[in-house]
Amino acid sequence: MNTQQTPKAYDVIIIGAGATGAGTARDCAMRGLSTLLVERLDFTAGATGRNHGLLHSGARYAVTDGESASECIKENMILRRIARNCVEDTGGFFVTLPEDDLDYQKLFVESCHKAGINAEAVDPKLALQMEPAINKDIIGAVKVPDGAVDPFRLTTANVIDAQRHGADVMTYHKVEDLLLTNGRVHGVTLRDARTGELKNIEARLVINAGGIWGHEIAAKAGIRINMFPAKGALLIFGHRVNNIVINRCRKPSDADILVPGDTISLIGTTSSRVPYDSVDNMEVTQEEVDILLREGMQIAPSLAYTRILRAYAGVRPLVAADNDPSGRSISRGIVCLDHAKRDGVEGFITITGGKLMTYRLMAEWATNMACEKLGVDAKCETAEKYLPGSEPENREEREKSHTIALSTEQLAIEGRHGSLSSQIPKDINDDAMVCECEKVSVGEIKYAIDKLHVNNLVNLRRRTRLGMGTCQGSICACRASAIMSKRFGQTAALTDLESFVNERWKGMRPVAWGQTLVEAEFSAWIYEGVCGLGNINEKTICDNK
Amino acid sequence: MKYDIIIIGGGLSGLVAGLSLAKENKRVAIVSLGQSALHFSSGSLGLLGTVDGKAVEDPLEAVKTLPAEHPYSMLGAERVKELAVKVKPFFADAGITLRGEDSRNSERMTPMGEFKRCWLTLDDFITREDLSKYKKVAVVSVLSFLDFYPDFVASGLRKLGIEPSVSYVTTPEIDRLRRSTAEMRATSIGRQLHGKALDEFADAVMKAAGDADAILIPCVVGMDDEEPVKALRAKVGKPLYCVATTPMSVAGQRMQTQLRRRFERLGGTYLLGDNVTDGRISENGEIEYIHTVNIGDEKLVADSYILASGDFFSRGIIAEPHRIYEPVFGLDVDVDGDRDKWFDRNFFAEQPYMKFGVAVSDDFHPLKDGKTVKNLYAVGSVIGGHNALKEESGAGTAVLTALHVADKILKNN
Repeated sequence: MNTQQTPKAYDVIIIGAGATGAGTARDCAMRGLSTLLVERLDFTAGATGRNHGLLHSGARYAVTDGESASECIKENMILRRIARNCVEDTGGFFVTLPEDDLDYQKLFVESCHKAGINAEAVDPKLALQMEPAINKDIIGAVKVPDGAVDPFRLTTANVIDAQRHGADVMTYHKVEDLLLTNGRVHGVTLRDARTGELKNIEARLVINAGGIWGHEIAAKAGIRINMFPAKGALLIFGHRVNNIVINRCRKPSDADILVPGDTISLIGTTSSRVPYDSVDNMEVTQEEVDILLREGMQIAPSLAYTRILRAYAGVRPLVAADNDPSGRSISRGIVCLDHAKRDGVEGFITITGGKLMTYRLMAEWATNMACEKLGVDAKCETAEKYLPGSEPENREEREKSHTIALSTEQLAIEGRHGSLSSQIPKDINDDAMVCECEKVSVGEIKYAIDKLHVNNLVNLRRRTRLGMGTCQGSICACRASAIMSKRFGQTAALTDLESFVNERWKGMRPVAWGQTLVEAEFSAWIYEGVCGLGNINEKTICDNK
Repeated sequence: MKYDIIIIGGGLSGLVAGLSLAKENKRVAIVSLGQSALHFSSGSLGLLGTVDGKAVEDPLEAVKTLPAEHPYSMLGAERVKELAVKVKPFFADAGITLRGEDSRNSERMTPMGEFKRCWLTLDDFITREDLSKYKKVAVVSVLSFLDFYPDFVASGLRKLGIEPSVSYVTTPEIDRLRRSTAEMRATSIGRQLHGKALDEFADAVMKAAGDADAILIPCVVGMDDEEPVKALRAKVGKPLYCVATTPMSVAGQRMQTQLRRRFERLGGTYLLGDNVTDGRISENGEIEYIHTVNIGDEKLVADSYILASGDFFSRGIIAEPHRIYEPVFGLDVDVDGDRDKWFDRNFFAEQPYMKFGVAVSDDFHPLKDGKTVKNLYAVGSVIGGHNALKEESGAGTAVLTALHVADKILKNN
């Protein structure tokens, strides 16, 4: 093996660029630690990119887990302030259907208040006026401060800020091994996913933020963490069915949250234990789709005739308590492990459990522990400092300075990149529209390639929403691929294009009927028929989905 | 309203059937929803390009190797040959010039610079054979037009040993379109390129081409007929050819317009933007009438009906979570298994759903509850039993079954 030694040693290496890893990198860098964030695939490639995108008020956990609920509402308020551009204040309802127990509502409201969540029972008629998508038969409604959060934007903003504070970032580098000498972790061996090249990087401390894959990473130091992969499947609908989050007011169950996010709505989730060896290839089954639709129609009947764009599933990294190998007492709370104390392995921390909503708090815990171990005395500021793109601004002021109102295209770009959108090149050539569904211009793609660690079309989709709209990439992917080819070469671009089309298909396949099947057939005729693609790699491998 | 024949669907197969019948003085109405596979036409017609993953040289020979349920097998190899030789003259009569040999496939160039087998090609479209005549070829595209990929086309040329150049042109007319980001589709450009705008475009193309032996442009010229292409070719004074773009297809639009015009000039009725909602089938298995959205309660009546409603894309058949159905008459649809079995995990593999379509008897009468509907015929991609994309046979099955059924209706009277 050709192992290269790179000279730079870091204070801390963080493994995994989901929200937690990116948040930890930001926190570490802000506290003055020299920081490297490594990721085997792309930002948000794991559970961060496969959930509801719900800015939980915490109400969902109020009855069953008061501690999680109060963590949620605190983080909710923090994110509204520091991540303005990643968050939409939609508000939320918990609705009671005739077959549900209305007494539960009372317990629910009380529990919310105990956790510090501003929950308010309202007249169902008023709720229906505010959100007409709700089932007309509801007998109760409680208003809560839920919202929507874009996990892609949120993670990218954390990465950008970490870099601004001096952190280095490497995507498509898999941790092949931990450097372990005399019971101390002092770095990692990375494999470059594109070249296959191996390199060792030294650090005083390694933080494992690998989500469900953290189990595997810890095992490289001979450490066992009892993780229980829990699959959650979701459906994406073709437009915003609702503008206010709709939850069902009952004990958490399948498909009882409908969240509007950007141009679409999401219903989810199911919950099922899956074998550990399946976590890299989650497929949504026909049965899960049927459950999600059946249950979702209960809270919003119009889902029955709304086009489903795609289905996807994520894996929650649930962790069993250390004294319970059976996994019966599973915690949904944050788990921050100092492996020196727990396993006698120095220089190694695992941060796991938790949820997207508490990513910042998880990062704070992990960074506190890191600072303590490294003897650094620095205060956490991530709850106060704005994330890039989310600095406060007065849109009305700015709109006044424009002689005409902002165009839909410009609003879409600003929505995605906030105050960073000024960096996007604009002229008659760069304004040409690549993705017409989501209004992604040539300029925005160039910006993403230059500044946002874009190596392929899936990365590009996560940074810009390209291909996320109703055509699911059938028109725009070829166009984007032509732009990508100028940077990455034609062979790479074509291979990537086929892989991207297959990634879109993976999500469409479980819901391929009606208009979604029409779109799939149309895509097939464009890609294989008109363009003659599909023969470049006989077997297109679907990496990284 | 009473017609001799009502055709449900105004795409390639519906138009060809309608035109054939109108030529023989039949009273024909075509009801068209407006969305057809012509919208993503490649500028060529495929008859049969691939069988079992193997390239086909002579499509008329290869027809003999197809399975019995294939529409070509139902026609029979002899009949396919008889009909195939009629295609070029038929299109020429409608103002559409096709070239190519009836019994030998050629290859078209794709907007991604790949080559795909085809049978007949629109006169202005490039084939691999054409390219063999040139050493230096200029690829000239339009600024801000994103549905054509000049760099990839240039690579395709290089593989053939041709020296390519790539350039982009614009004109005042095109610049006006470029300011509105949603306007840069092939058809939007095609709509503008007439008269003075076309002259300006020709000048720009000529200048950009330099000393090349031949010029390739994306197909953005000739929306309604071939005249603008002829004018452009004359003005440029060098061999100039088109390459397909991704949708919307100007070439497909042109074919649709020309066929429809010819059909209407012969007295045919083309009901555009209308949709057949339902039809009544009598006790003895014949259609009595149909209803459409726009005509409402009034019945449309004919002696014969032709179902040319296409597959999923054109709503000829519709998939629901647990069934696939034919929406007008509830005809029998050949479907294999439940939803899990409709698809292959690899997008580019053979997808079972593409073979689904209405079940027909040997004489192209669709079945309902296992019995043939006597005065109804099915043509084109609404018929099941073949994968037109994998076989490169979409246009061929559409045109040949339409010609055949039209003949049959004429003979029956």
